Amino acid sequence: MLILVISLVGLLFAGGAAEKKSGEINLEWWTWDADMLESNKQIIAQFEKENPGVSITNTIIPTTEYWTKIRIQANQNKLPDVFTMSSGYIEEWAKEGLVYNLDSFVEKDDTFDYFYKAIFDTSKEISAADHYYSIPFALVTTVLYYNKDAFDKAGVAYPTDDWTWDDFRSAAKKLTVDTNVDGKIDQWGFTFTGRYAEIEPWVYANNGNFVDRSTMRFNPDKNALDALKMLTNLVLVDKVAPPQKDMSTFKLEEVFYGEVAAMWVDGSWLTDSFRRNIGDDFRWGFVRIPTGPSNKRVTYGWPDSYALAPNTKHPEMAWKFARYVAGEGIGLDLYMAGKIPSAKALAESPEFVDPAVQPGLDMLKLIELAASPMTTSYTMGWSEWRGYGGSDSLGLNGMIDAIINGQMSFDEAMKKGSEGINTVLSRYYK
Amino acid sequence: MTQTPFRWHRRITPWIFILPTVIGLLIFRLIPIFSSFYLSFTEWNLLRKAQFIGLGNYVEMMKSREFLMTLTNTLQFSLVYVVGSMALGLALAVLIDVQIKGISLYRAAIYLPVVTSAVAVGIVWNWILGPTYGIVSNIFESLGLTAPYWLSDPKLALNTVASLQVWKMSGYYMIIFLAGLQAINKDVLESARIDGANAFQSFFRITLPMLMSTFFFVLTITIIDSFKNFELIYAMTKGGPQNASNTLVYDVYLNAFVFYRVGYASAIAYILLVFVGLLTILNFFIKKYFVYSLD
Repeated sequence: MLILVISLVGLLFAGGAAEKKSGEINLEWWTWDADMLESNKQIIAQFEKENPGVSITNTIIPTTEYWTKIRIQANQNKLPDVFTMSSGYIEEWAKEGLVYNLDSFVEKDDTFDYFYKAIFDTSKEISAADHYYSIPFALVTTVLYYNKDAFDKAGVAYPTDDWTWDDFRSAAKKLTVDTNVDGKIDQWGFTFTGRYAEIEPWVYANNGNFVDRSTMRFNPDKNALDALKMLTNLVLVDKVAPPQKDMSTFKLEEVFYGEVAAMWVDGSWLTDSFRRNIGDDFRWGFVRIPTGPSNKRVTYGWPDSYALAPNTKHPEMAWKFARYVAGEGIGLDLYMAGKIPSAKALAESPEFVDPAVQPGLDMLKLIELAASPMTTSYTMGWSEWRGYGGSDSLGLNGMIDAIINGQMSFDEAMKKGSEGINTVLSRYYK
Repeated sequence: MTQTPFRWHRRITPWIFILPTVIGLLIFRLIPIFSSFYLSFTEWNLLRKAQFIGLGNYVEMMKSREFLMTLTNTLQFSLVYVVGSMALGLALAVLIDVQIKGISLYRAAIYLPVVTSAVAVGIVWNWILGPTYGIVSNIFESLGLTAPYWLSDPKLALNTVASLQVWKMSGYYMIIFLAGLQAINKDVLESARIDGANAFQSFFRITLPMLMSTFFFVLTITIIDSFKNFELIYAMTKGGPQNASNTLVYDVYLNAFVFYRVGYASAIAYILLVFVGLLTILNFFIKKYFVYSLD
């Protein structure tokens, strides 16, 4: 009986070992988008055809568990050869030496013939390192979405790249309407919450900063404070935007396609959702965030990237595959609308800008923005102090909501918020 | 030889039978409990090895204003939940302890929220309690009152979530109370009625004292259940606004899986363990002095 059990177990191991042929290169590729299962299989099949002797295994882990699982892999020194890396964590991973230094590849081959150097440099800046640690495959930025039909009805000219904050505010005033005159506003000129994708764009459009990068402490400069004041006054003074608590039943961007807000600031990736949810209900477009009084601006945007394991057994092939899936070997249909491919061929292809599908030629602005200098508020411990995901009612997000909900004054919230944020930052940056 | 063959089987057979359970208990309960205790003295972001920092996490907790708030929130949530669930559970049990046609339908309907997904409950109540567009707000407005911000007001959020947890779970305690009620000898109540006792006197002087052992059983389990509030908080408020509805359980999740501070999260988990333990011991002592079962 014992002999039977031992031989069965032995067979299992023999079976497993038999799958690996000697001389073959096996790469592990980890991603987090479950919708891409079939597409990934096709990509792998194509790559394996073009590169005989290489086999790729794709593991998809849903976003809610991805980071926990991949951290454990890092802990065990068993990181996959190529894996999806987020801008929110790249700094920490680069600092801990958990990603492969890509300088040797990037500098010696034709990477920048195929990919936008600006996007690579943005990635490098976000990782706060002197080397390239990730290969970006898509870039997202933030834009001002606007409801063209609502603008027409109110007789307001559409937003342009020359818009200032005053232009924005006066338009918002004319677009805040009580259509059935019952004392309740039916359409707000603008709506926002304390969320990063809705606040940071304005700060950077005024050349402001939340974090003093020399001390790594939360210390918003005058430009940043002006941006926050302008925004909070939209609710408290101008009354062209509702307090966050009034809109809590909505799933954020729903206010735009639900025609409750005439303007909405958020990531360019919402193009996908708006195309599906708005369809032909109304005409809409987007424009870059209006410029602040400082008259200087930086774009708010960041890439999603792939990184290589620091101890990958096949760096050259892993790099080749990473370039392939980062844009060289894939089609535009695999990109969510509103995400800008880092591969020049894809971004500049006619399919990227389809005048027949909303928002039409506005998509060209995304390429323009992708080429401009970019920055973010990412630091280590960002989701804790900024308030994101499971903690989105806390941190700076919660503080800004408290101001516009009338629960705290501006100065009180800034003071209390700074203390909390700097407690977190001082843990990561001594 | 007079011994039956394979005698040694009989001694180890019971152990073999319980071995799967013991292994399961060790791997999924005991070892994690001890590892967690060790981790509470470390700093670990999962990326590298855990670093031993002694009492650092506990010191940080004691100094943290947010932690104190989380602690008081947890106790407040438990209070609302225990009192609410027991009162509502008992009231419902008394109401449905009748033999009318279709009573099982009512019992099932009241029990339904217990088996409904907490996320679904959270989403639907978010809409019902929503400002401007929610049903409750509209009812308030039609009566000429302004509806409070049930989930967005820091003063109300915690009690709202706790009350919804009461609504969700009362059906379960109702069933237990119902069993207790039905075990009471009807003859005693009958003779009380003959002697001229009214419904109230009957309930408070006879039914309730005879329900004491059930009562303390439900008290014990509501205290333990009151700490299981993660799902509803995650679905409705995510601990907000500004920590107002954050409890120890949600804080463990935040620190372990959002902020990746596994050591600190383990320390919070142990404080939670201490609290549950203390409340359970308190419960046992009260029970010893107050419960008498009448045969």
